[in-house]
Amino acid sequence: MSTFSFLEATAWHCVGCNQPLQPTKMQVTYLNSAFDVELMACSSCGFTLVPESLAVGKMLEVEQLLEDK
Amino acid sequence: MGEGDVQVLLPPFHSVSLRTFHLTMDQLQLRELEARCIQEEQPFCTAACPIHVDVRAFMTALAKGDVREARKILDRTMPFPEILGRICDQPCRPFCKRGEIGDPLAIGRLEQFCVRTTQTVVKLPKLPAKGGKVAVLGAGLSGMTAALDLGRKGRPNTLITSSPAIGGSLHQVAESILPKEVFVQAEATLTGYGVTIQTGTMLDRQAVASLLDKYDAVYCDWDGFDASLLPFALGAPDPLTLALERDGCFGGGGVETGEPFSVMHQVENGRRAALSLERHLQQVSLTAQREKEGACATRMYTVTKDFAPAAEMLPADAEAGYTGEEATQEAARCIRCECMECVKQCVYLQEYKEYPKTLIRKIYNNQAIVQGTRNANKLITACSLCNQCTVICPHDFPVAEVCRSTRVEMVETGHMPPSPHDFALEDMQFSLGEFCALSHHQPGTESSTYLFYPGCQLAGSAPESVKRTYGFLTAHLQGGVGLMLGCCGIPAHWAGRTALFAETMATFKAEVHRLGQPTVITACSSCLSIFKECAPELTTTSLWEVLDTLPLPQGHSRPIQPLTLHDPCTAREQQDLRASVRSLCTKLGIAVVEHDYSGELADCCGYGGLMQFADKPLGRKAVRHKAGRSDLDGLAYCAMCRDNLAAHGRPVAHLLDYLFPGTDREPLARSNPGFSQRHENRARLKNDLLAEFRPEESVSRPAHTDTRLLISRELEDLLNSRLILAEDLQKVIHHAENTGNYLFNPANGRRLAKYRPVRVTYWVEYESTDEGYLVHNGYSHRMQLPEDSK
Repeated sequence: MSTFSFLEATAWHCVGCNQPLQPTKMQVTYLNSAFDVELMACSSCGFTLVPESLAVGKMLEVEQLLEDK
Repeated sequence: MGEGDVQVLLPPFHSVSLRTFHLTMDQLQLRELEARCIQEEQPFCTAACPIHVDVRAFMTALAKGDVREARKILDRTMPFPEILGRICDQPCRPFCKRGEIGDPLAIGRLEQFCVRTTQTVVKLPKLPAKGGKVAVLGAGLSGMTAALDLGRKGRPNTLITSSPAIGGSLHQVAESILPKEVFVQAEATLTGYGVTIQTGTMLDRQAVASLLDKYDAVYCDWDGFDASLLPFALGAPDPLTLALERDGCFGGGGVETGEPFSVMHQVENGRRAALSLERHLQQVSLTAQREKEGACATRMYTVTKDFAPAAEMLPADAEAGYTGEEATQEAARCIRCECMECVKQCVYLQEYKEYPKTLIRKIYNNQAIVQGTRNANKLITACSLCNQCTVICPHDFPVAEVCRSTRVEMVETGHMPPSPHDFALEDMQFSLGEFCALSHHQPGTESSTYLFYPGCQLAGSAPESVKRTYGFLTAHLQGGVGLMLGCCGIPAHWAGRTALFAETMATFKAEVHRLGQPTVITACSSCLSIFKECAPELTTTSLWEVLDTLPLPQGHSRPIQPLTLHDPCTAREQQDLRASVRSLCTKLGIAVVEHDYSGELADCCGYGGLMQFADKPLGRKAVRHKAGRSDLDGLAYCAMCRDNLAAHGRPVAHLLDYLFPGTDREPLARSNPGFSQRHENRARLKNDLLAEFRPEESVSRPAHTDTRLLISRELEDLLNSRLILAEDLQKVIHHAENTGNYLFNPANGRRLAKYRPVRVTYWVEYESTDEGYLVHNGYSHRMQLPEDSK
């Protein structure tokens, strides 16, 4: 299964770990389906950034698709 | 992420639920329901045509100037278009709906124009020869038709006439109308389909007797064949099959002595006989399923009042017939009869491009899917369940009932998507929860004769109106007026959540029982409709009917301008309620201007059936559609209608605004409070009422609700459209600030935090200021990140 990358340079820092976010591979899930994706996340605590454009764009699209499966 | 890259972790729902999988509709029910929708019934002209020419399609093609396409339609149905197209006696014409608004269409003249200006376009196929010895005695138009149809069915036959040529009485038609070459063409057509033509045949009693013995089946066309030559006593042919006394012998056509001569009747007889002969040779039932043969009735329903009258286009040169332009103009008068009465009024059916018959088939197919995409889910969840279409439908097609019962089935089988209804159901739970729900006797009393039930939306939209109305009721009704704040559970009913709805209704009934079975007075027609349907043992009435029996409140007001009245869809069946509303308006001196879609025909504002959550753009269309029924400012008495109409830029007041006016606002200028304010209003209403009446019972709200937010009007609208509540933002910020778990942008000092209370992750971008948290953005997603499952 291929990994979909949603990496973009970001100014957001993790406050708890005082670190910049790093490209991180992970699996996101919805309604019994999973996708390998690459997102910006804190390498210490794992806090993952989902930018607005992704949440209301591709992610929403896929959610809707899976709801009709 | 792409559609093709879904990795299935667990068996999908459908494979585990196969055992319990059932269809609400079976095939039989589907057919019964489909049959109620008459959109696909034959138009009046086609039904009246003995051979069912698709006149509507013919007119459509001609109106576009596509004469070739029009000819195709004739070629497909008419046995000899070059003959029939010239002399069709148009039995359909008296049935043309255009006759109600001008003159019926000049179908005959248009057919003449079509065959005069075109050659054969479609040549129907000839089936492989099947054997059987068939003769047609008499070669009038009926005999010719029978011979041709049999030839096409793969029954080579012999067309026998004593006349020197085929055509029978057609030869009496003036050559200017029916040129000689059409007979040549007809002969060629017949021969092409394997018909042997025997003209000039000597037919006496002996010859006929031997022909009957020689052939397996015979059709006698009385036009050109003398019935007295038959060797058996002749009665009238069976009207359905045209069978004569002797097995395998059929008779028809002729020139109908004593009746007006009809070529269409001749053709119909020939076609009917051909089918009877075919069935006789196959040795199958001669009579089964022949109801639609010949001119028949139709259930089609077409309303003509919206069409402008138009007179028949007469050709400038009557003898030459129509020119191309004249024909186009005449054909363009066809109103293309169809029903579509429900679709004309319903934005939902328009949006999904369905009429009930096609809609129900899509729903049926969707529910039958075991593996794959259920493309009609949205179709099922988007209907407002308002029943307007059912009232309009001449056969009461129950679209809402089908959609709602399908939702129940989707929930039961685990196929209901979460996103269409989650928000509304959580909103309902909030109204029913400890921060909003309340039920008490009137302060200072221990029993209730009445119980005021304002409903969750009025409490959310206009809490002050609730207080003032309650005050008025307690002052004017005897025997104690209790108060119950909550939700009737209709969102769960609409969402197909049977168990949740039953639980809500049971709790409500138990509370009413605890209060001593008072008469429930509802301000909301949805609550009233659901109580009447699901709690018929309770005594329920509407606030409007009660207020109509009481004196007008002190200080009531009225608008200076006339207002149009927007009935809610849930008052469709509540005539008394609607009458009381109008009576109150009269007493208040409000000049009400009725529009055409009020009362039983009222549109839904988009909230019904949870449409506005399942299909947001459609919800907006629905309210625009409702608002557009009148150019005037409006008056509503459903809080949801009022707020939805107000949200779409239409000044609309609530009836309570005039009965119990506040000092702080102009009723027509009040904006839609939005979802967050609705929550806040409900919770505050309970707090206020408790503080006033039962201070010992006050409820303290969770810590996050103290988080002070600063949100611009613009962002509030965005959050509202994204179904994100201010309280969701408070939860996120409260969580972030207490855990120190958030992102920070050193460039602008903003924070970005997230929190997933249950099924949705909410994100907030904000900054801390002295006045509170200044919110810059908010969004959400349902997809789970790895950290969510920790």
